Amino acid sequence: MVAPLYTTASGLLFHAGKILVVTVGLPARGKTHISRALERYLRWAGIKTQVVSLGDYRRKSLGGAQKLPPDYFTLGEKSPETIELRQKVLDGCEQLIWDFFNAGGQCVIYDANNGRREQRRRVAEKFGKEGIHVVILESICDDSAIIERNIRSVKISSPDYRGWDPNLAVQDYYSRIRDHEKHYETVDELDAASIRIINVGEKIMVNNVRGYVQSRIIFFLMNIHNRYRTIYFARSGHSLHEHSYKVDADLSEIGWEYAARLKDFVLERRAKALKERGLDPKTSRLGIWTSARRRSHHTAWPFLAAADPKHPGGAQCKVKVIEKPQMSEINPGVWDGLTVADAKREYPEEWERFLKDPYTFRAPRAESYHDLSVRLEPTLIELEREQEDLLIIGHASVIRCLLAYLIGLPPSEIPAIEVARGDLIEVVPASYGVHSQAYHFWDGPGRTHGEGEGAYEERDPNNFYENYAEDTREKKHRVGYADEKT
Amino acid sequence: MSNPPSGTDSPAIHASDSRLRSGDLDHVNDALAALQVKDAATPVSTLGARSTPFGAGGPLLRRFDESNQSKITSQATTPPKSVVGIGGKVAKPDYSEAKIVLAMVGLPARGKSYLSNKLTRYLKWLEYDVKVFNVGQLRRSRAKQKREQSGVKEDHTASYFSHNNAEATRLRDQLASDSLEMLIQWLRDGGNVGIHDATNSTRERRAFIERRVAKQEGMTLIFLESICNDPATIAANVALKVSMGDPDYKDMSPEDAKRDFLRRIKEYEAVYETITEPHLSYFRIINVGDQVTVCRIHGYLQSRIAFYLMNLHLKPRSIFFSRHGESQFNVEGKIGGDSGLSERGLRYATALPDLIKDNIGDASLTVWTSTLKRTIQTAQDLPYTKLTWKSLDELDAGVCDGMTYEEIELAYPEDFANRDDDKFNYRYRGGESYRDVVLRLEPIIMELERQENVLVVGHQAILRCLYAYFHNLPQDDLPYIKIPLHTVIKLTPKAYGCDEERYTLPIGAVNTHRPKPKTMRTGSPPRVGTSRDYYTENA
Repeated sequence: MVAPLYTTASGLLFHAGKILVVTVGLPARGKTHISRALERYLRWAGIKTQVVSLGDYRRKSLGGAQKLPPDYFTLGEKSPETIELRQKVLDGCEQLIWDFFNAGGQCVIYDANNGRREQRRRVAEKFGKEGIHVVILESICDDSAIIERNIRSVKISSPDYRGWDPNLAVQDYYSRIRDHEKHYETVDELDAASIRIINVGEKIMVNNVRGYVQSRIIFFLMNIHNRYRTIYFARSGHSLHEHSYKVDADLSEIGWEYAARLKDFVLERRAKALKERGLDPKTSRLGIWTSARRRSHHTAWPFLAAADPKHPGGAQCKVKVIEKPQMSEINPGVWDGLTVADAKREYPEEWERFLKDPYTFRAPRAESYHDLSVRLEPTLIELEREQEDLLIIGHASVIRCLLAYLIGLPPSEIPAIEVARGDLIEVVPASYGVHSQAYHFWDGPGRTHGEGEGAYEERDPNNFYENYAEDTREKKHRVGYADEKT
Repeated sequence: MSNPPSGTDSPAIHASDSRLRSGDLDHVNDALAALQVKDAATPVSTLGARSTPFGAGGPLLRRFDESNQSKITSQATTPPKSVVGIGGKVAKPDYSEAKIVLAMVGLPARGKSYLSNKLTRYLKWLEYDVKVFNVGQLRRSRAKQKREQSGVKEDHTASYFSHNNAEATRLRDQLASDSLEMLIQWLRDGGNVGIHDATNSTRERRAFIERRVAKQEGMTLIFLESICNDPATIAANVALKVSMGDPDYKDMSPEDAKRDFLRRIKEYEAVYETITEPHLSYFRIINVGDQVTVCRIHGYLQSRIAFYLMNLHLKPRSIFFSRHGESQFNVEGKIGGDSGLSERGLRYATALPDLIKDNIGDASLTVWTSTLKRTIQTAQDLPYTKLTWKSLDELDAGVCDGMTYEEIELAYPEDFANRDDDKFNYRYRGGESYRDVVLRLEPIIMELERQENVLVVGHQAILRCLYAYFHNLPQDDLPYIKIPLHTVIKLTPKAYGCDEERYTLPIGAVNTHRPKPKTMRTGSPPRVGTSRDYYTENA
């Protein structure tokens, strides 16, 4: 859903102009969580985005709270030194924003409290005057449990509280919030473009927000949640013909073995994880998404058998398999079915350009990785929205794009992400990014590429198209790796 | 890192067997690789393009499919048949878990029916089963029945809508409740989204609906409130209501009708309570597009609905569709490919700017093309902002790309018949079905809703899908919609549909339309128009 690949003369995507998202909210309202998630999403979409955090800037330039004058966070009269200090931090931060815009950045998320109407108006005027679209993003939270959880899990581990007793730190943080509360003015300016989020998405109010990227931001914010869940990724099984997009081959014998092994491994790992959380694997459903390609969908069949109460050995788990045509692998266009050597010989110019920029280059009739990201965007939003555990049985190129988003890698690195067949990648979203880990559970074709002498001759580390890049051992980026003792 | 596969505890698999079979497989792959090299050395030239290795009916694919009929038996519980041929039928996705009661809230003339119609069109296009239960229609239908049976004419002027009129209030409560019952029954029978189109303007009424829906397991209730305080929009809605032939005002002069309708609004205003109940799930839209509130919306379909509503606007505009000019492949009768325009196609491209200019004058316009040469060439002389969308590329015919229909029929006669049998669901091998294309175009629809004047220079299948959305055409008819070459279709969205004009340029082109085979069931022609329904079909 992210618009097509085109860059305007100014170097910005989507004719959207420059955007400044100003966060507003009391401390511990999840502003940073939202800012980082949004940054990850926009960057993945190819928009040059940067979070500028006032807190981080203050800590970097002045040091932790212990180095600040005592009246820095408190209310009332401040000494002239403190006022000057605060102004210095503010100015420095705004300079960072300008620097990023001037260097060709398109979107800045200004992560600060901005709790005063006057403050917001000043920022909106200052940047609006220069043609930057300002959107106010307020995070409100009146659920004390959410606030407490946020303070305990995030705030007291900040450098401000290094060496503190956790309970004292929590007390101190609450007093900091209380001071802010006295000053705080919620966003009620109807003339401003604003998005207000209440209790992490329970309610969202949008006022006067126009524009393409802005509407994407809203849709994204509507779909994120912070419930605990696990997302598993695995490649589809080995097929009778690996190197063609069009042929849509069936799983090979080895592919079926792989599928059975994958089923055992996922159920085993999941049973363990669910037990720790006190849940029953027979009733907690696992969603399984596959593409509409036969090898991908068939890889999920052993799960269906395992879930079918009428089947011998069935009723082990509860699954729902969904076939998603948008999850087809990257389309290699005219290169379909060609070996790397063929492609280089027949399309030397295209091959050169492809190597220079494997993310955006589109071979004739093919999809670039950017095209693929665009195609996958609705799937990605759905992935964010999903609350159940999810297993994605996909093609390497598709998994690369989705992983890059979840982990927060820049788009240019997507083609080089390692996704080996025989690895189960587990991703658990956490408040700042995700925990990800790969577990190796299978060896066979597509992983070791044959046996004996000369087995790797055909491998090309610069080959980023999955149709002839089944062996991904040379890829530069790997997800956190752990050998599972089975 | 390379642990041996712990296949030993998976009893069905024997290591020796699999080694043997993987040997067979290598053999197959080697043979294919050899074929590939041979094939590459002797390119079959089509307009300078190289033939694709796995084209339908080609030696490579045939060899593959033959070798694919191997003796390999699968260990899996449900072994699939080998893929042979050029495609297969695709089943409709399972939407059975979606059961939503969407209850409208708002004063008369605030665009409730407009929103519910738009939403119906969008969701139906995505193959959800959607139905609007309009309380006003039910009232009119019942009154008509009563009139026809007993000759008694009910008074449906403003006094009927007064909350001081106890008898009428009871009747109206009864109607709302009956219509809700019909809706719930319909959802139980397999519907996905039932829209309760009524004013539902009091807390009491909403609480009633909430209690009723809570009794149904698996059903979700969402309110959609439309608030409009822009006098111009309200006036336009009132004028529309009065001029649209509403049977309530059949025997009245337009002035009287307007006066009565305004009085009716007053009666509702007197008791109207905006949604403030904190526990309800609701969307609130203020002045279509200005302000939106989304509260307690869970679930993917719900958030899609919210996002869709958020992107709507009421500014007058037109959407133009044009196929690319006639292409070389069109002339040769081939499908797919990425050929340039024919000489006649180029003439169309040259004539297009004047046609558009005559139509919109100096108004602004954005031109969208696909990434394929023929649409980019067609748009090359248009003096407007142009955007290229990958997702506007033509339906991917997979292994059949670059072939003529005759060649496909020759190569795979059974498959060909299959496609004719159910064209919407037919997916070309290695390619797409119309359903896949609809899913791919969903973001385009969303963006089209947000935009103002747009010209889409597209392809036959793509424009069929987009056209079907704007005219609410069923999936069965969608693959047979006539979108001729060298013709501009202008759609102007109105409250209850789109007005259409077609401009055909006098530049000859081949006809690429394949009619629905005669043997097929053909339903009644779909209703295309912008008038409003005033009676329910089955009341």
